[in-house]
Amino acid sequence: MSADRESGPYSQLVRRYFANPVHSGELPEKYNVGVVGEAAESEAGARVVLSAVVDEGRIRVLRYQVFGCPHLIAATEAFCDEAEGKALTALTEFDVPTLMSSLAIPIEKTGRLFILEDAAKALHISMTGTKED
Amino acid sequence: MLSMDAGAIYLDYAATTPVDPAVGDAMAGYLTAEGSFANPSSIHPLGRQAAAAAETAREQLANLLNVSPCDLIWTSGATESVNLGLKGAARFRSNRGKHLITMPIEHKAAIGAFAALEHEGFDVSYLMPDADGLLATDALEAAIRDDTQLVSVMHVNNETGVIQDIGSIGECCRRKDVLLHVDAAQSVGKLPLDLAELPVDLLSLTAHKFYGPKGIGALYIADRSACQVEALLHGGGQERRLRPGTLPVHQIVGLGTAASIAESRQAEDLEHLHRLNERLWAGVKEIDGVLRNGNADRSFPGILNLSIEGIEGESLLLALESLSVGTGSACNSTSHESSHVLRALGRDDALAQSAIRFSFGRETTMDEIDAAIRCYTDAVSHLRAISPAYRKTA
Repeated sequence: MSADRESGPYSQLVRRYFANPVHSGELPEKYNVGVVGEAAESEAGARVVLSAVVDEGRIRVLRYQVFGCPHLIAATEAFCDEAEGKALTALTEFDVPTLMSSLAIPIEKTGRLFILEDAAKALHISMTGTKED
Repeated sequence: MLSMDAGAIYLDYAATTPVDPAVGDAMAGYLTAEGSFANPSSIHPLGRQAAAAAETAREQLANLLNVSPCDLIWTSGATESVNLGLKGAARFRSNRGKHLITMPIEHKAAIGAFAALEHEGFDVSYLMPDADGLLATDALEAAIRDDTQLVSVMHVNNETGVIQDIGSIGECCRRKDVLLHVDAAQSVGKLPLDLAELPVDLLSLTAHKFYGPKGIGALYIADRSACQVEALLHGGGQERRLRPGTLPVHQIVGLGTAASIAESRQAEDLEHLHRLNERLWAGVKEIDGVLRNGNADRSFPGILNLSIEGIEGESLLLALESLSVGTGSACNSTSHESSHVLRALGRDDALAQSAIRFSFGRETTMDEIDAAIRCYTDAVSHLRAISPAYRKTA
């Protein structure tokens, strides 16, 4: 964990993404053909909703809504920032340990990050109708 | 983009207060070779000088509480006072019975001391408060048994600010010949507390909650034959052998000075806190889903505890990072356990986790309160804009 004593459990990257969630929200109304992938910890727990516009196999627009801790919000923003504009396979190539490492997310939050992974997989299934193993 | 100017506004006076400059100045005279640094147990002139300073401080605290100075024992703070008061009295009187009564909304210092006593074979009843956080006297009376020997309650709850009716609780205890211990860490120096009038047997306090230094507190032990305690530490003869160890004169002088200042400006401070509390509540109460924790009419005005629907607690705390505030949870990187106090008041886990404790002090300004209102409003808007969980019901 790179966060130091004064910054607490949040790295500078986590703080930046948390404070500036440019990919958050629902799809703009002009996109009426979006698809959605959703995953949740429990009914009242952490939740991630991803919605996307896909064109010719590429993710043209990717938006999210998150109810959860700062690490989950920051990780979802970072994921959307990275995946937008890429091929659909970006959704299944998602790797929790790599993202956690790049954002210096504490190991105790691993479970929360798997909610994001589940949402990304659900989005992929919605788009392709196929489940990736 | 959310503004995150870390900790710029301090609104955590219930956690600790800054040392009053006059307190710091007084303490400085008892630390170095130029001052009265000697061991107050020494019989030489410098030792006697230090001992006299400690006794002057004891008188200053005694004046604040309206008690005799000899009823006060110096400790390292409220946690030690609570442990000495509860364990010391329970063990001393264990031949009279092993039943003890408290509430689940007590500070963890008391909860921990009671857990240790349960381990020793004491039987502890934890009485639930009502939805406002108050202990009903009739419920207490019904819970007292023939073998009950001690009741312990907080005067002002450290999370909600709710003030227990110590007078009624104490009268109930006296009628039943049961000792009453009061954890007054949040009220001494802030609220009028006349122990010559209140039926209190043991009372714990700490200096750093009322502009004194950390690391020094006191236990009041009423001068009644029924009220005696057994020492937890053993060594020298200091503090009537109840709390041996070299007295930290500089800290004791700091506590005494802080007590003296508190006595002189308590009414002024309380009025200031009332104004701050009302301003903050007026600024946030219209936010959809915001809830006040604790009875507003029976609360210390220096604390305002808010929960909010549809907001994740840890994210709210980070979004409020420009404020130094307390949280309703034991929040760190590994756990986000919700407040045992708020859960006992009936708040669900999500609401308890979203709780923020704003607490004010002498130095808090109206401009800071206005900034806190803006910050809280912005943080809630920011997180609700991201969240799929919250939909306004109105």
